[in-house]
Amino acid sequence: MEKPIQEERKAFLTGNEVVAWAALVAGAEFMYGYPITPQNEIMHYWTRLAPRYKRGFLQTEDELSAGFTTIGGVMGGKKAFTATAGPGNTLMQEPLSMAEMMRLPVVVVVQQRGGPSTATVIYSQQEVTLTTMGGNGEGLRIVYSTSSHQELFDYTIKAFNTAWRYRFPTFVLGDGYQAKMREPLTLYDPEARGVAMVGTEPFVGKEGVPGIERPPAQHRNTFSLEEELYEKVKTDAGDYEKIAPSVAEYSSKYTEDADLVILSHGVVFRAVAEAVGSLREHGFKVGFFRPVTLRPMPVGPAREMAQKAKKILIAESALGQLARLFKEAAFGAQAEIHTLFKPGMGITAEEVEEKARELLQ
Amino acid sequence: MADRIVEAYTGEYAAGKSENALNRALELARRGRLVTLVDLDIVEPFYTLRPIQDELAAHGLTVLAWKTGETMGLGEAGTVIKPAARWALRRDGDVILDIGYGVGGSRTLNLVEGAGSDPDLKVLAVINISRPMTASVADIVQHVRDLGRVDGLINNTHLGDETTGEVVQEGARVVTEAARILGLPVVATAAAAEIAEKIGQADCMDNPVRPLTRFMQKAMW
Repeated sequence: MEKPIQEERKAFLTGNEVVAWAALVAGAEFMYGYPITPQNEIMHYWTRLAPRYKRGFLQTEDELSAGFTTIGGVMGGKKAFTATAGPGNTLMQEPLSMAEMMRLPVVVVVQQRGGPSTATVIYSQQEVTLTTMGGNGEGLRIVYSTSSHQELFDYTIKAFNTAWRYRFPTFVLGDGYQAKMREPLTLYDPEARGVAMVGTEPFVGKEGVPGIERPPAQHRNTFSLEEELYEKVKTDAGDYEKIAPSVAEYSSKYTEDADLVILSHGVVFRAVAEAVGSLREHGFKVGFFRPVTLRPMPVGPAREMAQKAKKILIAESALGQLARLFKEAAFGAQAEIHTLFKPGMGITAEEVEEKARELLQ
Repeated sequence: MADRIVEAYTGEYAAGKSENALNRALELARRGRLVTLVDLDIVEPFYTLRPIQDELAAHGLTVLAWKTGETMGLGEAGTVIKPAARWALRRDGDVILDIGYGVGGSRTLNLVEGAGSDPDLKVLAVINISRPMTASVADIVQHVRDLGRVDGLINNTHLGDETTGEVVQEGARVVTEAARILGLPVVATAAAAEIAEKIGQADCMDNPVRPLTRFMQKAMW
C-alpha cells in the first residue's frame, strides 16, 4: 500500500479533511457512509483520496445500512469505518449495538450537530449520551472526544488501533465546529513515528474446515436463553472493566490547589483552557479537568479531583450530558457542582471566565 | 468607469477565496471606487460573507448576500442563488464575485447573467499549497485545468496562525512554476498584513504582494 504521507509536514485543513487523512494513514481500507451535515466532507474528501491510494467507498441508502455494511467490511477483515452525525447517529445505534454484541472493531466518527431530531446542522455536544450509551445494551464502547485538529488526526489513528486491539466499537466524537474549522496541524505516517498499527483479520471465511482444522466462527447477536445472554454480557463487561483503566485518558492542570475546577470536553475545552489561563494570571486558584475518553470515563482521577476541589463548574454545549457521566464517576465526593449548560450553542472563554468569577466571589 | 474591475475568486475548498475577494473589494473601496461584493458560494455555506456583510457594508461596500435568517435548510437542502447576485454584472462600478469551491463552484458562474461575455471579467484561482490537494506543481496544474476558465492565479499560501514569511515564499515559488506551465499570470501573493509587510512590495518571484486583513474567522454560518 502506497504511503499517503511520505514525509511529516504541516498542512492547513478542515476537521473533516483531517479525519479522512487520518483514516488514510491509519490504513483504513474502506469507508461506508451516508451523507449528513456536518460530516459530509469526510466522505467527499475520502472519495477524492481513495482512488489515489486504492481504498474503497460505498455510499449506502441510509445510516442503518452504513452501520451494517461497516460491520460487513470488518467481518471480512477490512479496516473499515463510517462517519455520521445527529439523526444519522441515532439510526446507526442499531448496527452499533450489534457490533457491541459481536465484539467488532468498528470505527465511527461522529460530528455532533444540534438535537433533538434534525434540529441544526451546525453544532452541539448533545450526542454524548447517544454515543457513549446508545443502543439497547450496556455501552461497551470507547469514545474519544477531541478538541483540536491535531487531536482529531491523532485520535482517529488511535481509534483504529484501540478497536482492533480490544474489539469494542470505537468512536471519535467531534462536532460541527471542529468539522468545518480550519487550522494547521502536522500530518504524519504513524509508523514513521513508531506507532505500530494493529493488524486486522477476517472474522468469517477463514482458511480450514471449521470445527476440525480451526474453531468455528460463531458470531452471534441472538441468544435463546436468559442465562446465555447473562453469561455473554457479564463476560464482555468484565473484559471492558479490565481494559478501562488503560484506555481511559484525561488531562488536567492546576487542580492541586484549586478553589474551582472547570470540567469540559471537546471543543469547549479550548474555551475553558483559555479562561483558566487568564484567571490564573489574575491570581485566581482555578484549574481544569478534561476527560478525553468519555467512555470509559477516567473514573479514578475524576473522583480524586472531585474529592479535593471545593467547587466544580461543568461547561458543555448540552443540558448536562457530560455532567451525568461525571457525577456517576465522582459519586460520593463533596464538591459543590455548578453548571454552564448551553445546548446547541458554542461557549466562549469570556463566558467561562465570567461564570468562574461569579463562583469565586 | 473606464477601467471597470470585475473579478471572480475561485479555487480549492478552504483555499481563501472569500478572504481574498473581500480584501480586494475593500482595497478598491479604499481607493474611492464603487464596489459590489457578491456572495455566490452555493457549494458550502459554512464560511461565507453572510455573517459579516454588515461589517463589510460599513466599510463602504455594497454586499449582495443572503442574511442567514432568510435562508431555509442551510447546509442541508442546498442554497438558492440570491436574485440580485444573478444580475450583479449589470451594476455600475467594480464587481467582485466570491464563488464556491472546486468545479461545482466554478459552474456557479454560469448562473450569473453576462458572465460569458463580460469584457472585463477575470477569473482568479486562489491557491494555498498548505492544502494537501494543491501542494505540488503537478496538483495545482491539474486542479486549475479542472476548474475550467481561469485567467490568473493568486498565491494564498499560509498556515493560519503558524504562517511565516518562508511559508508564503515557498508558496510563491510553487504557484509561479504552476502558472508558468499553465501560461497564466500570478496576479498576486496574498498574506496577512503583518507578514505581507515583512515580505515587502513583491515576493521572491517578483509577484506583487497584497496584504490581507482576516475577517473570515468570524464568518461561521
